[in-house]
Amino acid sequence: MSLSLNNINKTFGSVKVLNNVSINSIKKECLGIIGPNGAGKSTLFKVISGNLKQDTGDIFFNDSNINNLNIEKRARLGISQSFQKNSLFSEMTVKESLMLALSHKYKITFNILHSLLDNKTINIDAKTIAKDTGLLDYLDIKSDNLAYGLQRQLELGIAIACNPKLLLLDEPTAGMSPAETKGIIILIKNLSIKYSIIIVEHDMDVIYELADRIYVLDRGSLIFEGDAKSVKESKLVQKIYLGI
Amino acid sequence: MRAANYNPKLRLQLMIILLLLALISNIFGSYFTRFFIAEITILSIFAMSLDFIASRGGMISLGHAMFLGIGAYASAILTINYGISPFSSTLYTFLVGAIIGIIIGYFIVLLDGIFFIMVTLALGEMFNAWVFTSDYLGGSDGISGILRPNFLILGIDMNNPLIFSFYTILWLLGIYFILTKITDSPLGRNLDAIRQNKDRISAIGGYTKAYKTIAFALSAGVASIAGSLYVQLNGFISPELTHWTVSGEGLIMIIVGGIGSISGAILGATVVHIIQHELSNIINWWMLVIGFGFIFIVLFMKDGLWGLLEQIQKRLR
Repeated sequence: MSLSLNNINKTFGSVKVLNNVSINSIKKECLGIIGPNGAGKSTLFKVISGNLKQDTGDIFFNDSNINNLNIEKRARLGISQSFQKNSLFSEMTVKESLMLALSHKYKITFNILHSLLDNKTINIDAKTIAKDTGLLDYLDIKSDNLAYGLQRQLELGIAIACNPKLLLLDEPTAGMSPAETKGIIILIKNLSIKYSIIIVEHDMDVIYELADRIYVLDRGSLIFEGDAKSVKESKLVQKIYLGI
Repeated sequence: MRAANYNPKLRLQLMIILLLLALISNIFGSYFTRFFIAEITILSIFAMSLDFIASRGGMISLGHAMFLGIGAYASAILTINYGISPFSSTLYTFLVGAIIGIIIGYFIVLLDGIFFIMVTLALGEMFNAWVFTSDYLGGSDGISGILRPNFLILGIDMNNPLIFSFYTILWLLGIYFILTKITDSPLGRNLDAIRQNKDRISAIGGYTKAYKTIAFALSAGVASIAGSLYVQLNGFISPELTHWTVSGEGLIMIIVGGIGSISGAILGATVVHIIQHELSNIINWWMLVIGFGFIFIVLFMKDGLWGLLEQIQKRLR
């Protein structure tokens, strides 16, 4: 898996939200993107996922230019995302949601001859994903009736059910209690064994625990790149976060 | 947009009950009862077509009477002008409706909410205006003299109201079977998911436009079949059939029955048509009663009669 963002620029009105941002990932790793409020993290996330088109600059995924591909097409290439605000199928149970996502992995979404819920392979896969994401005891519960932390886990479950090559996680611990955050960190650590991950996070402790490499954004520009130790020790990063 | 709970077991149970009631009424009923059953069956097919796109893709169409009309007029033209057998004409009308549905659907299915509703309304009214003024289609007089299928070679007289009623019920069963199969299939589940959260379907790589266009085309084809059967039941077609209020009545039926349950659409069509018929014989202001009844259901029974049946089912467990 390789992802390359070259000189990405994005302006909203008179505000330059992304300023010549370049990011590279050429192997399976967990990449973190952090920055204070308004740094451009969410905009960068949307540009990678296809929710937003950059003004200038190129994005390459596995050596193919994906500038003109929309979110659906990028997802089919293997870029899967979870959302900061839960984006679930409210009337579906955990099992139904995972099986629905798996129908895309197995490319049977145009099938009209067989019942999805009777598909044995997908059933087994759904249970495996439920186990990996800590949802095995909640298979028959509707998404809307899950506790918030479990909904976040289902967010991840749906994202990985599509068999991604790259997992984009937008503030996966947003709104979670410390205990729930610990659970999600363990979950993502396990996922990072199988998948390349890019995490956009506000919580620096989460990023330090998970990321192999970290990019630091400030006011639309990349100001620092390094591992957790070097980011922690960087006076520049301390200045933008703490003003010291 | 909300839809009834996915409950295939109750769906089948309700269908069996409605079917038995229809068969019993047909066998033991009068000439008029059999004609009435055929009417309800055809309305149920139309209601199912509306229910399918409402619950699979979240598309509310105020122009679906157009496809009813396309089926009716196509069937009439094919049988009268081209000598095609009425039975074959019904099959052809499915194709005609579905093809027109694909063409229209390609351009409109990604429109959201009110915009989709208004575009379908506009298309329906354009069609209505055209058929009213078209000499080829009989203008305001419509077309008469449309025959029913001829199966005399098998000893079946379709002019017998009992037989024709059973014929329409067979069509209903076939369409019900196909629509439930699709509802339960990966395509159907993805369409249901689009109604619930289309952005998420896009994010997992779904072909949102393709799925919705297929659903719209299928629904258009089914509505066209209803139109074809309608014209064979009555022997004539008038342009009033294509007015937007017919689509509105269809939507009332599926809301009363419970959107998304398929069997609920049939139940809604049955209940609404019976109440309309019975009340109109008793009081002049029957539409007021229907209106109040509809408002009551919308306010207090969001899943319609289907929701009520679910509650009864839960209590009986």
